Parts: sequence; C-alpha cells; structure tokens
Amino acid sequence: MTKTLWTPSRRRFITSSSAAALAGLAAPGLAQSRFPNRPVTLIVPWTAGGSTDMGFRALAEATQKHLGERIVVENKPGAGGTLGPAQMAASARPDGYTLAQMPITMFRLPHMTRVAFNPLTDFSYVVHVAGYCFGTTVRADSPHKTMKDLIEFARANPDKVTYGTPGAGTSLHITMMDIAARENIKWTHVPFRGASETNAAVLGGHVTAQADSSGWAPLVNAGQLRLLATWGKKRTKTWSSVPTLQESGIDIVSNSPFGIAGPKGMDPGIVKVLHDAFKKGIEEPDHMRVMDQLDQEVDYMDTQSYEAFVKTMYEDMRQQVERLGLRRS
Amino acid sequence: MELLGQLGTGFAVALSPDNLLYCFVGVLIGTLVGVLPGIGPIAAMSLLLPATFAIPPTGAVIMLAGIYYGSMYGGSTTSILVRIPGEAASVVTCLDGHEMAKQGRAGAALFVAAIGSFFAGTVALVGLILVAPLMITVALAFGPAEYCALMLLGLCLIAYLSQASVIKSLVMAGIGLVLGLVGIDSINALPRLTFDRLELLDGIGLVPVVMGLFGVAEIFKNLEQGTDRTVVESKVGRLWLTSTDWIQSRWAIVRGTALGFVLGILPGGGAVISSFVSYAMERRLSKTPERFGKGAIEGVAGPEAANNAAAGSAFIPLMTLGIPPNAVLALLLGALIIHNVPVGPTMITQRPDLFWGVVASMYVGNVMLLVLNLPLIGLWVKCLQVPYGILFPLILLFCCIGVYATSGQIFDLYVMIAFGIGGWLVARWGYEPAPLVLGFVLGPMFENNLRKALILSRGSWMTFIERPISAFFVLASAIILATALVPWINAKRKEIAVEG
Repeated sequence: MTKTLWTPSRRRFITSSSAAALAGLAAPGLAQSRFPNRPVTLIVPWTAGGSTDMGFRALAEATQKHLGERIVVENKPGAGGTLGPAQMAASARPDGYTLAQMPITMFRLPHMTRVAFNPLTDFSYVVHVAGYCFGTTVRADSPHKTMKDLIEFARANPDKVTYGTPGAGTSLHITMMDIAARENIKWTHVPFRGASETNAAVLGGHVTAQADSSGWAPLVNAGQLRLLATWGKKRTKTWSSVPTLQESGIDIVSNSPFGIAGPKGMDPGIVKVLHDAFKKGIEEPDHMRVMDQLDQEVDYMDTQSYEAFVKTMYEDMRQQVERLGLRRS
Repeated sequence: MELLGQLGTGFAVALSPDNLLYCFVGVLIGTLVGVLPGIGPIAAMSLLLPATFAIPPTGAVIMLAGIYYGSMYGGSTTSILVRIPGEAASVVTCLDGHEMAKQGRAGAALFVAAIGSFFAGTVALVGLILVAPLMITVALAFGPAEYCALMLLGLCLIAYLSQASVIKSLVMAGIGLVLGLVGIDSINALPRLTFDRLELLDGIGLVPVVMGLFGVAEIFKNLEQGTDRTVVESKVGRLWLTSTDWIQSRWAIVRGTALGFVLGILPGGGAVISSFVSYAMERRLSKTPERFGKGAIEGVAGPEAANNAAAGSAFIPLMTLGIPPNAVLALLLGALIIHNVPVGPTMITQRPDLFWGVVASMYVGNVMLLVLNLPLIGLWVKCLQVPYGILFPLILLFCCIGVYATSGQIFDLYVMIAFGIGGWLVARWGYEPAPLVLGFVLGPMFENNLRKALILSRGSWMTFIERPISAFFVLASAIILATALVPWINAKRKEIAVEG
C-alpha cells in the first residue's frame, strides 16, 4: 500500500487507534463478548437514493433488530464504488463497527489500473448478499425479437447495431463487449450517463438497443420496450417469460454480485455475530420485498463460501480484463 | 371536462387531512434543506424514505415531492444573502441577487424570487397537465447531436454572464472546461488528470467547487475589505417590491417560466442551462444591460422562475415514462417502486388517484410555500445583521457540513478551501467565477454528447446541421456569439482608434 495516497485517512487512523488504545485499557478482553455495544457503520459506496442504497437501507433496517444495535448507512460514492471500501480498508479499525458494500469494481479495477488496495488481502469478508438484474432491451417496434436476432443482424451488418449503456467500463459495457468477442461480431458502444439517458435514447430511436440494470422496468412493463434477455443465472421472477443470456446461447452470467466486508484482521467471533445478524436480515420479508421491487436477486452466501467466491471472481475478472484488452498501464 | 373531473378527484385526495399534513411536512423540510447550503433534497429524502414505508404511497409521494420543490424555493435564499449557491442552478441568482442584498435590497430580491417561484411552479403544473404527451415527443427527439448543440448554446452564453471583459470570461470558462476533464473519461473510461488519486476518478465535485468559489471566496473578500459592513446593515428596510421593480421583473418571470418549462423535461442538465439561458436572455433584452451584475432585479426573477418551472416540468418524463431527468427525481422514482406503484406510462391509468392526487398536492404545496416563505423573508434579512464575527464562522460551518454531507469525503473539503482561495485571488484581478462554473458543468456534457453524436454519425460533422433541432441550436449559438462580440469588437476598434 502506498501510504502517500492516504494522507487524510492516515491522520484519522492515528486518532482512532489512540482511542482504541484507551478503550483497550479500560475494558481488556470484554469488547468481543459485548459486540456490538454501539452503532455499526455500513458504507455504501454509491450516492444516496440509488438502487444499491435503497436495498442496503432496507437491509440495515431489517438487520439491526437481530444485531441489537443500530446500523447507520453512510454514503461514500466515488471511483466506481471502490473509494468507500478502499478508504475503509486503509483507515478503519477491524473491530466490526465499520463495514462496506463490496461492489464488483473492487475486483475488476485492480486489474485495469494501479490501485492502493488488494481485494484478496485487505478485507475480512462477512456475507454475500445479492446481484443486480441486468438486461438487453430494444424498442417495442424493433424487428429484433430475441437476443439471437440482434446478434445475427449485427453479424450481417457489422457496426450497424448501436447500444447504449450507463457508462464506459461498467459491467454492462464490458459484458456487451464480451458477447461481441465470443460471437465474433461488431457492434457500436454508445456510453450514456445513467439509466434515464439510456431509456430515452432507445425509446427515441437514437440507439438500436440498451444494456442496463432494471431502470427499463417501467417501460418494459408498459410494452414500450422489449426485453430480449436478462443476464442472471436464472430467469427473473418478474419477467419469467424472458430467457437468460445462457438460454439464448451465450454462456455469460453478469449480475455484478455484491456482499459485505470489513477491514482485514477482524476477529472471527465478531464476523460470526455480524454474519448471523445479516443472514437473518437478508431473509426478513421486508428486505426481500424491497429487493424484489428493485429487481435485485438475493443470493446469500456464508462467510466461507463468499471468501472462496471472491477468489474465483478476482481471477475471472483478471481473465476478462486481459481478454478484452482493458488494462491501461 | 374529463380533465377537470380528474383534477377534482386529485384535489379531493390532496385536501384530505392526512395528505395536507404530509404536504406541509414535505414543503417545510424542503424549505429548510433548501436554505441550508449543500444539505440538498437528496440527503433529506433518502433519510426519510424508510420512514415513509409505514404511510400510504400517495402520502409518501406527496411528502417527498414537497421536499423536492420546497427545496427549490429555499435554494435562492443563501445565494442572495451570503452568496452561497447550494447547486449549479442557483449560481446565476448569486450574481445580481447578492448585489441587491449589498445595496440593502435583500428583501426585494427574496420577494421577487418567491413570487417568481410561485408563478413558475403553478404554471408548470398547468403545463404538466395539458401538454405532457406533446412534451414527451420533444424530449425523446433529443439525441446526442441535439444535446451537444444545446450545450454549445449554453457555452456561448458565457459572453453574457460576466461584467468583466470577454477575454477574462473566456479564460475562466477555459479553466472550467479543463477542470471538467478531470476523472474517468466518459467514452473510453480512461483516467484523465487524476494523478493516481482515487478521489479524482469521478471528477471534481460540483458542490465543493461552487461553495468554494462563491461562499468561501466571498468570506475572504469581506475579511480583506472589512469595513463597508455598515452599508448593508443600514439599508435593510423595504421588503415589498417598488412599482419599478415589478415592471422590470414581471416579463422576466414569464419568460423564465417558459424557458424552464421547456428545458426542464430534458434528462441531464436541462434545469441548469435554463437558469443561465434566462439570465443571458434578460440581459440581452434589457434596455439597460449595464445594470446586470450590479443588482438588476430581472437577473434574479428570470432565472429563479426558470429554475422552478424546470423543477415542475421535470415531473413530466418521470410520471409519463418513468424516466427521471435528475438525481432527486431518480430517488422519487425509487420511492414509487418500493411503494409498489406502477411507474411509467401506465401510472396515470392504473393509479389515477395517486397521479392526480400528487399533481393537485403540488398546487396546494405551492400555496403553502408562498405563505411560509413571505413572512420568513423579514427573518432571513435580519440574518444579515448578525455580526461578522458570528456570521462568517457560521457560513463556513454550513459550507463544510454541506460539502461533507454531499460526498462524505474530507478530500472535498480541501477542494472547497482551495477553490475558495483561488476564487478570492482571481476576483482581485477582476475575473469572475460564473463562467468557470458554466464551463465546468456544461463541458463534460458537451464532450460526452459530441463524441456520442460522432460515434452515431460515423464521424460525420454534418449530423449537427442535418438534424433540425440541432441545426436550430447551432444557428442560435452563432447569432448569440455574433451579437455579443460585434459591439465588443467595435468598442475595441474605437479604443484603438482613440489611442492611435
């Protein structure tokens, strides 16, 4: 870790570790058995009010009664969702009182550019929560009825198909690149800034297709957009008639799975307390209902499975970044 | 007739005691977060969102919508009183609004902002009901080429923004454009000017920049000058508008409303541009353009009306398509989804009670806001009499809280302070911050849309001329540039002639 990158955080680290020393003097050995005895901060590295934030606020609400302490959601957006967890790893104490959402970018960005964190060694993973619902849509009057139609059209007309995504380098963009590479076709990426712009662009006929998370839901439900495929492991509950990418003959699952982690070196006992509370919180009907409405697919994994999954995902991302030539330096 | 019936149903919903209460709570919170710089509606709404799970969806949406348009009302207050714009759209209000306050006309500025907001808010609602389907066609016709041309028009307005020389404005706008480049480039996802700092990957935050350039720099400036305080203090007096004020501002309000309504429906940046366009237009149309920047009341009335009309018409794409044109409404959309409301094109038919109830509640809310805000004006103006020794630390404190609440990053506080010092220094040499903000806000959107338009046209620049809406904006930009530069060039020629 390059320390020069973290001046402000380092200062905070020093003050908080001296506070830790004092606390340790006052009550040696008791901290663990009493955990938690004050509110837990859950860093959501996205802006307040976004779909991740809403899901996590519902999860915090559902979990705190099982944990016995309040869970305070703190939004620290930036750097594609890596800034919040990276700062936590650099500055927070591994006492279980500071946790963060771990978005997929934590595992992809280190392969693309120089970063000051290592997702395999700098974090204590707690629990895996869910994945997003991504999908490809076209306008309802489009001649393309299936994913195959769209791909075959692109094969016959190289560079004619344009697709909008919520941004360059997002999972949406990278997955569409991946599809093109596997199918050996050419289509043109048009990066927009967020779902409302891609919706308007596909609806207004400015692009052929849209690859986005479920911001298209209202327009698909109203029959103005046609959902060609969803990108998860299995079909969605809401659009059960729409095939997955795999069912469409493309062997890709892309749902940007995410979970919760703390800084490295957390006590296994504290991890267990947190895991058990979050597991119950994830399963709470209130949380499940919100996740259904946000079209996020709950995918619980315990601590060990999540740690194993993280290793596989990190390696998958490395291969993907190399295959698509996304490495910058 | 059918429309009136539906609106009647809506009012029946909105005027039920519960919903009246939700509406009042919403606009009250909105006014408060609007007045507190930086603590915007997004923070307030996302904190309140879990609390709304317990109340019926209609009440929840009425309250959350109230926070949104209520904050638009309050946003002008700090711009006028202490020159802190809470968001990009109120930057324009600082220009003449704060000058008015310095001249002891803070009351009139706040009053015209409130009246303008009320008029714009109410008219935008009528528009929302009558022309929503038509406006949607227009909004969807906007592709990257059209957006790009609109941003070009916005950038040309720099010529009208500033009191300083055109050259100085261009320098500041250029700095703004460069600052806007910082971060991951939106087309190729390559980092630019980030110096390997994660904090800079998403670019420099707008809130710390505007708070630094305006609020913090203003404090430094006052500390340096120190003494002319008594001038502001002694002339607080009159709150009501004079008849001259009224004559000068009424058409500005009407024009600003029309502009804001049309531009507000565009996803991304419509509201910001509308306030800048309105300011430029008033200055262009005025018989006494030299008053602008020195406390012209039209320069407050027009942009404030535009800002609020845009806030109203932004509901059109949200309610009819489920497409939120800005971050606050994206949050409202999320709230609707969580409350299991069928958002999108089917909302009006499936939940007419909710749709018309919310629309009617906005009328009710606008009246509440007016009643709430007018008596407050006297109170706000009194704030100016707080001694500097107390006022300045308070302003700094609110700026810090606002900036930190927006991003949760200490780094952004450093950015704010840096821009405060920078803003104070350049002001000493006669450079003004508004063109920088315009370049900073519009530059990235201009670049992104320009490059997207060229991707879609396979590199053909003709796309900007061939598409009618885009061609119109390009032509309008050319006219603006010409009318702004010709008198300036002529003046320069004369100067040279005189000197020669």
